[in-house]
Amino acid sequence: MVDTTTTHARSAKTAPTPRYAGWIGKAVGSGLYRHTIGRLADSRRVRLAMLAGVPLLWIAALHIGPIFQMGRISFMADYPPAPDGGSAYTLANYELFFSDQLYFMPFVRSLIFAAVVTVSTLVLVYPVAYYVAKIVQPKNRMRALLLLLIPFWAGELIRTFSVIMLLANRGAVNVALRELGFIDRPIPMLYTSFSLSFGVIYLLALYMLLPLYSAIEKIPTPLIHAAADLGAGPFQRFRRVILPLSKDGIVSGCSLVYLTSVGVFAAPLLLGGPNTVIFPEVIATLFHSSNDKWPEGAAFAMLLLAVSLSTVGLFMRVIGGRSVRLM
Amino acid sequence: MKDFTATRRSTLKFLAAGTGVLAAPAIIRPAFAQSKVVNITTYDKFVPQSFIDQFQKDTGIEVRIRLTDDQGKQYNVLSAEGETPSTDIVTVTGHRLPQFIGSNLLSPLDTGRLKNWDKLASAYKGAPQLTVDGSVYGVPLLAGFEGLARNTDYTKASDSWAIMFDPEYKGLTSYIISDFLQITMRYQGNDGDFVAYEGKPEEAQAATNKARDFLIQHKDMVRKYYDAGSEVQQMFVNEDIYVGHSWSGPAAKLIMDGHPIEISVPKEGTYGFLYSFNVVKNGPNTDAAYTFLDAILSSPEIGAAMSRQSGFASAFDGVDKVLNDKERAAMSLPQEQTARIQFFSSVNRDMKNEMVDKAVAEIKAA
Repeated sequence: MVDTTTTHARSAKTAPTPRYAGWIGKAVGSGLYRHTIGRLADSRRVRLAMLAGVPLLWIAALHIGPIFQMGRISFMADYPPAPDGGSAYTLANYELFFSDQLYFMPFVRSLIFAAVVTVSTLVLVYPVAYYVAKIVQPKNRMRALLLLLIPFWAGELIRTFSVIMLLANRGAVNVALRELGFIDRPIPMLYTSFSLSFGVIYLLALYMLLPLYSAIEKIPTPLIHAAADLGAGPFQRFRRVILPLSKDGIVSGCSLVYLTSVGVFAAPLLLGGPNTVIFPEVIATLFHSSNDKWPEGAAFAMLLLAVSLSTVGLFMRVIGGRSVRLM
Repeated sequence: MKDFTATRRSTLKFLAAGTGVLAAPAIIRPAFAQSKVVNITTYDKFVPQSFIDQFQKDTGIEVRIRLTDDQGKQYNVLSAEGETPSTDIVTVTGHRLPQFIGSNLLSPLDTGRLKNWDKLASAYKGAPQLTVDGSVYGVPLLAGFEGLARNTDYTKASDSWAIMFDPEYKGLTSYIISDFLQITMRYQGNDGDFVAYEGKPEEAQAATNKARDFLIQHKDMVRKYYDAGSEVQQMFVNEDIYVGHSWSGPAAKLIMDGHPIEISVPKEGTYGFLYSFNVVKNGPNTDAAYTFLDAILSSPEIGAAMSRQSGFASAFDGVDKVLNDKERAAMSLPQEQTARIQFFSSVNRDMKNEMVDKAVAEIKAA
């Protein structure tokens, strides 16, 4: 049994040594504070609840809230609603997608594009992640990682424009090829599927690199050495040891890249050509079109969100099993 | 990683910071509504920085510019803000005014509050594009047109929009689909501004479809569909395109900067537009907005600076005398070409928007 008398006596002895002068000290020392906020803050559970409350509120208000709002708009017949206040709800905005093939092609193109970008990013980034995680000396790993991350400190638009400066007819690549005598006319690289894929892979490589690095770095090196000692060649070591053990990183990286690339908007707009129009651009056109088409745009956005999340969910379940998480 | 222990002090500090962040919108929102602030939504390079600096110094009113590149986006943002707009002045083109006014987003202009109203060029005072139901709705700023721009180093001269479909320039053209669709309608002998189709949706749809199909058929001519003036400038500078449809402003700016670009109005004609500053209904700083509008009208030098930056012709009186020969040349057209410009009308806008938007989506998806 707890001796409450002793506890109270100790509390009374050690209590109010004001840490703050002025009104803060008075407020903290006041009975009201000690019996309300002070008492609450004394509890570890309440402290954790209070700490978690702020970020949870933040996420709910600024991340989940807008999605719910967009979902609501997607069922509205008119947006903004008529001044008389009456808002009719309808499924017509969703029906539009299924009734007009016009929107179907860009939608499918978006999903295929995201899948191609994801696989290409994985193939390109995996060797880099492996090199940094296993080949580079441990003391230089952070430096190497930092060097890889530096370009990502620049904003998405700046990096997109850097791709434009690289691939334009008078861009760095064409100029270099011409100066070296390989070409006499510029190769049209910009505003093609190539420039679009190149740009998006460059923009999203970080989302693949970090989960892969994290997973590969955790693979015990003695396991790889043991496989080699037992006669496994480089390909076998990769297929039988490294690849299975880096599965978590692959699933996380692919999920992140896929989810981001399926909704990427600025890069296709700036780097794509007339035949690379993908679904986010269609959605943006609905939001920006001359007549009010927010409900249609919202419905299409919700469809894209639902399909992309389902695809990733399925992918994670099939490839990753139950244990894989995004981060 | 070091474990984080939630102490009483850290919890309270964190909560204080969190409360501050969550309260930020409530602090920021009233910040729009200060008498010493004017919030302006406008296109890039429309308001000269030198004027902003001088205005702020003279009046103590802070000018906050928000950029837009599309009338539709501006309309949607303003509509979404409803009764509590966060901007005081918007930049609307004359033919889109009825849409903004119809949605109750703008206030009629009280020209009596503008001492410098008479400093507008006579052609623009009470311009019909800015007058709706007898009320003037905007301070005219800059006038432009949809022109044919070409790189004179790599292309032959042409007085027809047909050059945009010349196989010699395959993959070397560019345009804003919605704008060029209307020009294509005109090129095909139809009314790209839809005025003639009021009450005749079938005729309008047939003409729109014809232009749409023609653009789809010639899709291989296009290097890129663009949206903003800066994009077409960049494509000309990088030599990614040799010929394109362009608003007069961005092309004139390239000419002023010494690039080998020519802008013209082909024989089939084109459409013109007039930008104006408009006072937002229930804007948070209406008095400051009027002070700003009056100041911007005060001298032709300001109009010249706006022209110089944007490439569009000024609506202010006396600007021609301030511009130098090169700048005047970049913005002027031969008389016969000027006569081919037809200003966009506000008539039959809903039908036009509906059909053009649909056709744009179809061209993109094709």
